[in-house]
Amino acid sequence: MAGLTQLLNVARDALTAQSYALNVTGQNISNASTPGYVRRVAQLETQNLGTQSGGGVVAAGLKRVTNDYIERREYQATGMSSAASSRDQTLASLEALFNDGGGTGLGAALSGVFASFSALASNPNDTTTRANVLSAASAFAERANQTGNTISQMQMDLKQKAQDTVDQVNQRAQEIAKLDLQIAQATMQGDDASDLKDQRTQKILNMSGLINTHTFTDGKGNTVVQVAGTTIVDGQHAGSLSLDLNADGSLKLLADQSGGGGSEITQFLTGGTLGGIKEARDKDIFDVSKQLNQFVFDVATAINTQHAAGVGADGSTGRNLFDVGPSTTAARDLQVSVDVFDHPDRIAAASNVFSLPGGSDNAVALSKIFDVPIASGGTRTASQAYGDLVGSVGSTRASAQRDVDTHKAILQQVTAMHQSESGVSLDEEMVNLTKFQSSYQAASKMIGVADQLMQTLLGTVGR
Amino acid sequence: MRVTEQMRYDGVSTNLSQLSTRQAKAALEAQTGLHVNLPSDDPIAASELARLSASQSQITARRGSINAVRGDAELAESSLQQASDLLATAKDLAMQGANGDLGADERSSLALQVKDLHDHLVAVGNTKGTAGYLFGGSATDAQPFDTTGTFTGNDESHVVDIGNSTPTSVGASGAKAFTVAGGRDVFGDLDALYTALSTNDQAGVAATLGHLDSSRAQITNAQAAVGMTINKLDASDSILGALDLQASKRTEEVGSADPAKAYANLTQLNNALQQSISVSKTVLDLAAFKQF
Repeated sequence: MAGLTQLLNVARDALTAQSYALNVTGQNISNASTPGYVRRVAQLETQNLGTQSGGGVVAAGLKRVTNDYIERREYQATGMSSAASSRDQTLASLEALFNDGGGTGLGAALSGVFASFSALASNPNDTTTRANVLSAASAFAERANQTGNTISQMQMDLKQKAQDTVDQVNQRAQEIAKLDLQIAQATMQGDDASDLKDQRTQKILNMSGLINTHTFTDGKGNTVVQVAGTTIVDGQHAGSLSLDLNADGSLKLLADQSGGGGSEITQFLTGGTLGGIKEARDKDIFDVSKQLNQFVFDVATAINTQHAAGVGADGSTGRNLFDVGPSTTAARDLQVSVDVFDHPDRIAAASNVFSLPGGSDNAVALSKIFDVPIASGGTRTASQAYGDLVGSVGSTRASAQRDVDTHKAILQQVTAMHQSESGVSLDEEMVNLTKFQSSYQAASKMIGVADQLMQTLLGTVGR
Repeated sequence: MRVTEQMRYDGVSTNLSQLSTRQAKAALEAQTGLHVNLPSDDPIAASELARLSASQSQITARRGSINAVRGDAELAESSLQQASDLLATAKDLAMQGANGDLGADERSSLALQVKDLHDHLVAVGNTKGTAGYLFGGSATDAQPFDTTGTFTGNDESHVVDIGNSTPTSVGASGAKAFTVAGGRDVFGDLDALYTALSTNDQAGVAATLGHLDSSRAQITNAQAAVGMTINKLDASDSILGALDLQASKRTEEVGSADPAKAYANLTQLNNALQQSISVSKTVLDLAAFKQF
């Protein structure tokens, strides 16, 4: 009897274990497309019956199939890819400002100024021709203003976007710390906490898309999350970051100190959306803005110098055509000078009062400015300098696009490695499903057989 | 290596996305006929295109200037031809007046004709073009000659930028054509003829013949100078036209897509995309669980 009872017990345990395994398989199948889900494997073990052999099966629990090394690589690759994409998106907007294909860009406006000087030399005493100089100068100033203002606006928008990103990082840090606490509590209660661990991994992955993130487990078994080289989550404690501006307007990232204030960690910011914003805003856009302002300043100053040397139809001299701000903000500040605005007669086409009103020497000298190196420290003509600027913007964007492709490929590879290790294979799960189903059916059969044997035995004994 | 469904979906998604991006770019190139639609498509080419565009704008502006001043130069040339003809007529009248057979009345009649020539010549000297009076130098806003033929203009030249290293003078100098600045005072010579004819001074009339020849030669020289200016304008226009053509050709080389290549590339990518979609469908259909 003891043997038959044991058989029934073994069959019962098998039913329980296979049912558990089927449940795990079902869980895997239903979460096959859930982001961050890590496949589970039911841990079936032989039931220990002490020194006796022939024990049944028992479900000892389940195992999350993870690989810390691959996870860390995925965080890193996500950060780099996210940074490259963020930078590229920003530069796409910047590039559009310098796409002169439609003939409506700054280069075309500058050509309009040249054409107006050339036409002025042909007919210096014509009011319409003089008004056209003002109109062309105004168009150039407006285009420079639009370009300069758009770039400034982009920098302001990116500052806000950076702030939003820092807020998200802080939010994620809080969430990760909270999950750590929940995981610790669940583990203490004997739960496996796999779902919570999945959520924590997903949060960290999400964080790595925002800022370069590194994780490790400390000696106490706590998960430590570091961003931009500083610890932001240490077990159940979450720190925070804050954003400020340097004197030159560049972004300054600070790790908040518990006693107030913060230590600067900007130099360690290398990845994530925030890293991409930082590079695009404080390097790429800053460089282009500097180049643009210097170009506008050089051109406008050269025109002013020549214009001031000439004489207007009203006999006035020493007047600038443009009001130019400092070389750092020339594009935004450029305006047609109030001295000549609405006064076509003050356009200095002649070189001296004696040649009025038909003198055109200064108009020719103004148009000749476009043939001489006046920009980039007197080494490039206006059109060469503008071509350099367009080329520079194009090169920067092209470089960003290549970075996107490179980092996407790396991320794709690492994600594939992660999926291969931790992802759900429906094929595999279907095989498991069949396997555990068959085992369950076999266990049921065992109960049937044990029952038949029991009936047979009882029938024989009762006779 | 374990292959999961997510890997299949990711692979299909990534590959289709990359191929679609390339196909869209090829389609844009084929549609616009441009190899460079954005500076990042080819930064070096974009930089050169910006310079070429500026260069072509300059060429267009300079050719516009040539076109604008050429009309006035032609008008000045024909006006000086008229002036030359008037002086030829004046000389004919002087030769008639120098004839000893003529009486005072006849010379007086000739004097009236000379007076008409004088007035006509003043009108020629005050010819107005699109940029103002042609022979007043830079004083283009007022008649350079009063009714007596006194010159009130100046000898400042009208210069324009037609692409030469130095400004090109395009105006006809009224001072050098009609006044003593050119050697002879043309109106003075006509006045001398008029006076001699009016006073029946046969010797005085004869004395003007040489001066009238000199005056006419002076005007002819001025006319020739204007003709040279027109030739210079034409030559510059021709050079600028050639440069424009060269710039257009270079712009085409640098910025345009080869139509055959662009179309072939687009067709190839269209086919690749279709094949990829078909293969993707097969790959996604491969899942074993569908067979259970």
